[in-house]
Amino acid sequence: MARAFAAAVLLLAAASFPAGYAQQPAAVQTATLKTGDTAPDFTLPDQDSNPVRLSSLVGKRKVVLAFYVKAFTSG
Amino acid sequence: MDKFRESNAQVLGISVDSVADQKEFARQNGADFPLLSDSKGQVATLYGVFNKERGFANRATFVIDEQGRIVSIELGSSAINVEGALSACSK
Repeated sequence: MARAFAAAVLLLAAASFPAGYAQQPAAVQTATLKTGDTAPDFTLPDQDSNPVRLSSLVGKRKVVLAFYVKAFTSG
Repeated sequence: MDKFRESNAQVLGISVDSVADQKEFARQNGADFPLLSDSKGQVATLYGVFNKERGFANRATFVIDEQGRIVSIELGSSAINVEGALSACSK
């Protein structure tokens, strides 16, 4: 029993260990994507209403896509 | 955020805010990269990070390599805090 508990604690600790500190990238995935997948293309307007298409940027340099919570909320 | 700038990556911020809100947010914070308006959450849904209950995208960072492949996904507190990074830059 105690051993099972200790194993559970270890598992929890491992699961909550920040991925950025791991030597190998952790297998983080979302509901639809995982690392290694091709990034789905999209076109969205920027703050000046200019359409930005992901596939037009890919190939030149890395793209960092940063989803964030609404700009005018504290979340 | 700085580590991505140094690596010469193209940073794209993306949220469910309207273009007008993004423009105001960019103006107030001096954003020097595109802030995309995903007002219906379609792209967030495509990437599996849309929070239906709350109506916005959960914080998440995807790094896409030159071949268009996702090489890194970071979610929640380990993802880039665009709001925080911009606020820090504008101080």
